[in-house]
Amino acid sequence: MAKKIAVYGSYEAKVRVKQRYWKMRKDGIKQRYWKKTKRTKTIEQSGRYEFYGKGRELYKATIKAHQYMPKGFVHVSAKKFLENPEKYGYEGEWIEKEIES
Amino acid sequence: MAMKVNGLKKKLKANSFNSNNGLPFILGVTDSESVKLDFDNTRFKTVKYWAFRTMKWFKLKGFIILKSSKNSYHVVFDKKVSWKENVKIMAWVCLLSQHKALTKWFLMQCIKEGSTLRVSEKKEKPQPRIVYRYGSQNNQIAEFLAYRKIVKSIITKLQRQKELCTPTIKTLT
Repeated sequence: MAKKIAVYGSYEAKVRVKQRYWKMRKDGIKQRYWKKTKRTKTIEQSGRYEFYGKGRELYKATIKAHQYMPKGFVHVSAKKFLENPEKYGYEGEWIEKEIES
Repeated sequence: MAMKVNGLKKKLKANSFNSNNGLPFILGVTDSESVKLDFDNTRFKTVKYWAFRTMKWFKLKGFIILKSSKNSYHVVFDKKVSWKENVKIMAWVCLLSQHKALTKWFLMQCIKEGSTLRVSEKKEKPQPRIVYRYGSQNNQIAEFLAYRKIVKSIITKLQRQKELCTPTIKTLT
């Protein structure tokens, strides 16, 4: 397996708040569902990107990583991340906090 | 450029902005095929002892020691191994050395299924630099150093870009 670049740290991001609701099914069972609301909340957590690929793509992906915060542990090729960064992260800001490698 | 802020959260943000590194996150190199060890709060002599002992016991050909900060060292071995073997070697060192920080680091690497070592700066800690070399350096060490070079060039580019973007205020005398 090839070597990867790890981009990690703590960040602050605004995420959509999810709301639960119940719906009566035909068989009489109450089923719980989740929907995304327009409300947002600020979350503070740590995340990590593991990028692999060519040098230039890695550089571009690292620049993009300034803007898009990883959704947990994201292992993705730099090329795919550049094509669709919203899929792998939400917009936010990195903050300096003690984190292990 | 300095930012004047109130409040802890804003201070943290400002610190990341004003740090020497210029990067708000940490950059490192991850892979599963080379044996790496992270010794925190350990003397150089002890690190060297464990590096030699591990190299000889598992026939790892050679190693390099990088100093990451005061009394903190990283070790990279030269022989290419499978992830299974890598975990075996790291666990052996953790068990025999009874090093708490190393064991914690090892557990985290097991979760990720790949071992990571830092390349960029981290708060006041500088970039890790090579302080000792022993034995063969042509396989995994050469690969690690080549990749480290790529990461370092990315860091330099980002820093240069940041310098161009931030306005400098000159006072006339």
